[in-house]
Amino acid sequence: MFFHNFKYTFKVLFKNKMLIFWTFAFPIILGTFFNMAFSDIENSEKLDIIPIAIVSNESFESNPFLKETFRYLSDEDSETQLFSTKYTNEEEAKSLLEEGDISGYLLVEDTSKVVVSTNGINETIFKSVVDEVNQNSQLIGAIAKENIEKELKNNPSINPEAIYKNAIELVQKEKANIKNISSSNLSYTMIEFYTLIAMACLYGGILGTVAINQSLANMSSTGKRVSVSPTKKRNIIFSSVLAGYLTQLIGLVLLFLYTIFVLKVDYGTHFPEIVVLSLLGSLAGLSLGIVVACLIKSNEDLKVGIMISVTMLGCFLSGMMGITMKYIVDKNIPIVNKINPVNMITDGFYSLYYYDTFDRFYGNIIGLFLFSTLCISISIWSIRRQKYDSI
Amino acid sequence: MIVFKTFLKVVNKCKIPIILYTVILVFFSGFNTVTNDNSTSFVATKPDILIINQDEEEGITKNLIGYIEKNSNIKTIENEKEKIEDALFYRDVNYIIYIPKNFRKDYLEFKNPTIEIKSTGDYQASLAELLLERYLKVANSYHTIIEDEDALLEKIDDTLEVETKVEITSKLDTSALDKATMYYNFTNYCILAGSIYVICLVLSTLKEEKIRKRTIVSSMSHKKHNRYLLYSNGLFALVLWLFYVVLSFLVVGDIMFSMHGLFYILNSFLFMVCALTIAFLIGNFLIDKNAINGLVNVIALGSSFLCGAFVPPEYLPDTVLKIAHALPSYWFINTNQTIKEIEVFNVDSIRPIIINFSILLLFSIIFILITNWISYRKRKIG
Repeated sequence: MFFHNFKYTFKVLFKNKMLIFWTFAFPIILGTFFNMAFSDIENSEKLDIIPIAIVSNESFESNPFLKETFRYLSDEDSETQLFSTKYTNEEEAKSLLEEGDISGYLLVEDTSKVVVSTNGINETIFKSVVDEVNQNSQLIGAIAKENIEKELKNNPSINPEAIYKNAIELVQKEKANIKNISSSNLSYTMIEFYTLIAMACLYGGILGTVAINQSLANMSSTGKRVSVSPTKKRNIIFSSVLAGYLTQLIGLVLLFLYTIFVLKVDYGTHFPEIVVLSLLGSLAGLSLGIVVACLIKSNEDLKVGIMISVTMLGCFLSGMMGITMKYIVDKNIPIVNKINPVNMITDGFYSLYYYDTFDRFYGNIIGLFLFSTLCISISIWSIRRQKYDSI
Repeated sequence: MIVFKTFLKVVNKCKIPIILYTVILVFFSGFNTVTNDNSTSFVATKPDILIINQDEEEGITKNLIGYIEKNSNIKTIENEKEKIEDALFYRDVNYIIYIPKNFRKDYLEFKNPTIEIKSTGDYQASLAELLLERYLKVANSYHTIIEDEDALLEKIDDTLEVETKVEITSKLDTSALDKATMYYNFTNYCILAGSIYVICLVLSTLKEEKIRKRTIVSSMSHKKHNRYLLYSNGLFALVLWLFYVVLSFLVVGDIMFSMHGLFYILNSFLFMVCALTIAFLIGNFLIDKNAINGLVNVIALGSSFLCGAFVPPEYLPDTVLKIAHALPSYWFINTNQTIKEIEVFNVDSIRPIIINFSILLLFSIIFILITNWISYRKRKIG
């Protein structure tokens, strides 16, 4: 009877188009959209080559610092190219700016002036570079002056040009002693895909809801027929739930294959941990579906609606509609995400991807296990020894 | 009237999803548009930096922190490894500077202490690195000739105070226009999802066999019934559009009273008309009521992701944008982006907008023609 019910529940679930759409197709479709929208976003946030113009008048030509710096930073063959520079007159620079072809232009008269059309990062960097050149020029002057004064005390016949040249060399060779110790796994769009897996795990709960509904006498005609059959209730329920779990895992495997091989999502290198997390995540989704099916005495549509809404709310709080939301909740009301199964799954993947240690990962695993145990216990408590005089 | 009443009954059933779309819209536009930029004077972009100082805040250490503080937004985060790592990953900070213990002492003793940093690698982080490098280079240069700390700091400050004059030419309130553009781009999702969901639900409800039979045997003519249905759907679309327009005045603010605002509204109206025709088209060939939810999500989310309603179009890959040309949402969002850039409204500046408007209208006409063709074929078979 166990296998009989298992087989038919499995068939019924697979033939339900709406269920298959939400648990199999929708996560894949959404993943494709995420990939299209986010595939370039992190590259776009990196520093790009900034189009600028320089009014090449006499003052600019006679300023070696500015001239040399912009020549160096605009060198197309150099890896350090920051600007794409047009040397032009003021009129043309103005019209280039008006047409939006450049971020701004530099006009050197008595002092340097940067003309931009709006505020922004490119404009800030442009100004910052001009600042730096002017600061360096002041710095070289100050160092040279200091050295000349020192030299004059010992030797009245000095060579100011040589001192000045030395000052330039000194400033140019100075390097800041900075060491970058960032992790290489900093791609925040991964969170979107992790919430997608978490969503698929929780949507799998709908399968549990439908499977249980088929076995409850007060919910469906099939349930009535099953309930009067001479079979132990635990066999019926367990086989139905197992069929739901298996269907869910097939959907999840498909989603994993799709995200890994087509969308190139990086889940880190800890394969066994990923499998454990996915199995437990699916179990959490399934147990949520079961508890909804057992506790709510209403039709199937409402139960499915509740599952979709709870999942979407969980996804929202764990960063699907903007990863900042997960951070805000984690930072300000951590308890919400500690009991949110979608976040436990998302956070589990995140900790595998970003952290070297497993402490946070195990925290999520324990959380998911406790959540599933609690849901299943409540379900067993609510449907055991149920009898009906009339329905 | 009876058709309209039935229509309202069905609409009433869909109020929860519509409220949900609206809440997301308000939340999204409010959440993403908190900026303090002001266009009348130049405001440098400031990166978010976290400084973890293990040294005593005195002398050069204090001066370095002061310089970074002046040129960036300093974040305060609990000194716990996990919280700091999370802040970096979620871009709450772009750059973390770890000032080592005894930094001041070692620096003054010419030991050239290493400053460790963590960076998100984006342009804000590059800007932060520019600041830190500049300070250290200036300090190092002076330190070769000046040993006294006070004199050294005085010189560093003198040099770093040198700033270039910046002139800003645009008189546009870029911050408000960004907000308005983001709001109207996002309405792409709300208008599409709202209208397709409701209109498809109404049409499929009226297409149910029992109801259709009752409608056919009623005294009301088929044409009249259809006309009322069209008016009701049109009215619903108009109310939905008006609602989002009124909401935009509350969310976006004064800029909506300008010419820019007028064009945003006009653009959204044309898009609403187009969305209505899309909804009619789908409603006409859709038979299964259960499929509506899935279809709405795929069409509304799909075109919103592809055309730049959620992620600004400039961040989308070129291939995605090329595909998006085939969708009405692209032209709607493209117009919003164009309106944002316009300084003076004249024939030349609004030409691209007029072209986009025409394309939206063309889409609407095509959808109407396809709908008519489908319904004609269906009638012939029936």
